[in-house]
Amino acid sequence: MENNFKTLCLTVAPSGSENYVRDTILKEISPFAECRVDNSGNIIAFKKGKKRSASKLMVDAHMDEVGVIVSSITDDGFLKFQTVGGIKNAVLLCRKIKFENGLIGVIGTKPVHLLSKDTAETIPDTDDLYIDIGATDSNDAKQHIKIGAYGVMLGDFAKSDKNLVCSKAIDDRAGCAILIDLLKNESEYDFYATFTVGEEIGTRGAKTAAYSVDPDFAIVLEATTAADIDSVSREKQVCKLSSGPVVSFMDNGTMYDRELFDAALSSDIPSQKKCGVSGGNNSASIHISRSGVRTLALSVPCRYIHSAACVCNYEDIENTLKLTRYMINKICSGEIN
Amino acid sequence: MDIKETLLNLSKLCGIGTVKEASEYAASILKNYCEVSEENGLTVVGEIKGNSDYTLILDAHIDEVGFIVTNISESGFLTVAKCGGIDLRHLPAKEVTVHTKSGKIPAVFVSTPPHLSHSDTVNKEIGDYKIDSLLGSLATSIISVGDFVTYRSLTSELLNGRLAGKSFDDRAGVVCLIELARRLKNKPLACNVKFLLSDAEELGLRGAKTSAFKHNADAAIAIDVSFGDGPDIKSSECGKLGEGAMIGISPVLDREITDKLTAIANHKAIPHQLEVMGGKTGTNADVISVTKSGIRTGLLSIPLRNMHTDNEIIDISDIISVCDILEEYILSGGVMSGK
Repeated sequence: MENNFKTLCLTVAPSGSENYVRDTILKEISPFAECRVDNSGNIIAFKKGKKRSASKLMVDAHMDEVGVIVSSITDDGFLKFQTVGGIKNAVLLCRKIKFENGLIGVIGTKPVHLLSKDTAETIPDTDDLYIDIGATDSNDAKQHIKIGAYGVMLGDFAKSDKNLVCSKAIDDRAGCAILIDLLKNESEYDFYATFTVGEEIGTRGAKTAAYSVDPDFAIVLEATTAADIDSVSREKQVCKLSSGPVVSFMDNGTMYDRELFDAALSSDIPSQKKCGVSGGNNSASIHISRSGVRTLALSVPCRYIHSAACVCNYEDIENTLKLTRYMINKICSGEIN
Repeated sequence: MDIKETLLNLSKLCGIGTVKEASEYAASILKNYCEVSEENGLTVVGEIKGNSDYTLILDAHIDEVGFIVTNISESGFLTVAKCGGIDLRHLPAKEVTVHTKSGKIPAVFVSTPPHLSHSDTVNKEIGDYKIDSLLGSLATSIISVGDFVTYRSLTSELLNGRLAGKSFDDRAGVVCLIELARRLKNKPLACNVKFLLSDAEELGLRGAKTSAFKHNADAAIAIDVSFGDGPDIKSSECGKLGEGAMIGISPVLDREITDKLTAIANHKAIPHQLEVMGGKTGTNADVISVTKSGIRTGLLSIPLRNMHTDNEIIDISDIISVCDILEEYILSGGVMSGK
């Protein structure tokens, strides 16, 4: 799973342009599940288990990541852009951008030596930012990049002695890696797996995927903000790295099924409650699909989410995999119905 | 020697305080072309003898901006102080390397989680930032107060021979010196040429001060980087990338050397632009020129964007222009007299 996870993290696939990560995932799972790609671009896969499931279950992870889209090109050959998904400008400054065609650019800033006191303490607006691809003028730039081209913040992949991983797009390639692993290995029960598009621009792929699958239950695999940082007070930390998968009771999009919430927390696998109501994920679309879907979110705790240097503990990913398998069996056996 | 390859290697390596990766690598390449001695700190000096007692120093600093660890918490977060001028705005989520006694540790500057702050605010002091060591409780046993921290940034090629990465300030100058040593090896020279890869420029031009004192010189030319153009910079404040060497003109600098550099660039049609500064240059030229009883000093700069960040941008052609001007200056005898 770790190699897959690294490959997935480093793949360029912002919302609206999930092709590369979709191809990678399809290649991995096709031998192990019946797969199709729907009109939205979601992968909908059916995993045949040893037994038929008591209820129809959909396990979801989103493929897309936050990124940028080129909106215009200046006479000097710099690219103006808009963000795709929620990115704070502070993590964009002086960051490399990698475009789908492999081209690299840098979001430039005025050198510190030339900043006035005011500007040194102000993060520029997105309108004032630009991507420098090394072009000499607009004609030069236009030969290499089109208006509407997508890019993502370029990140590396580093792992510490403590199993902490620092990379981009852990949200939600961690969920994708778990879901791939579930499909590649034998399952006790039948279930549906969806790898969805457009989560970062409003949980859009999940809406159509949930309609197609028409599940009774859903498990949403995610990465969620961990603020277990020294400068943040305990009550605002929400969740902690190295304490297992995060189980949500409520966020800005969803009030979760309480029976599933309680069941997830009662296993022997390390887990923690999400102590805060913030953010949202594909559950927002899935739990109100058709006449309603009983939904659980299991998340990998992740620091510095929506930056090019997210940090998670690889052991939390392994435990999220274990807890997902545990919950699949709970639901599909009919123990929860 | 391939200029681009050497520069990419120099950019990737680190040089700050006690971290000698970059200076050791530079010395190993420079040794192919001249006598080299490794001196205090990061300082490396190469020399090619000429046919007179007149000595010209070519200076480029080998050190880079970075940080130094001031505190390590039980939960693995570091507090640091700055080594050099740092734009605090771009630090959130920036990857860094902590150079410990037992090796290099990947780490990252903390960024405020979105649920805690919807607006972008800038901490006013470096002491308000934390670095996540990714080591949790292990950090205190691996990292020491006083360890150095540098940017960790992949070097990438942009369009038109432009490169983006860390530490081109002033490894771009260092690669000029190495390339010049290559070009001048075995050539008859009218004066001695010393290649000074100086330390601690980013801490206030300190290394060049002591090295210029130690190595008696009659003249010097500093090779550094200067502000490159961008949409938010006035054209009067910067040079243009790809338009050649920036020849410094300043009351700090020796007019005859400056004029000679300019005349060579004009005569040989080497791409160049003039950089006029009303006072100090902010480079080692400021201190070298007032060493001992005075050293006649010139300045050539390479335009560079995003200075002091992990994604500085330079154009290789500008580096070559600097080399071309200096080679011609030295082979033609340069300025070889007192005032």
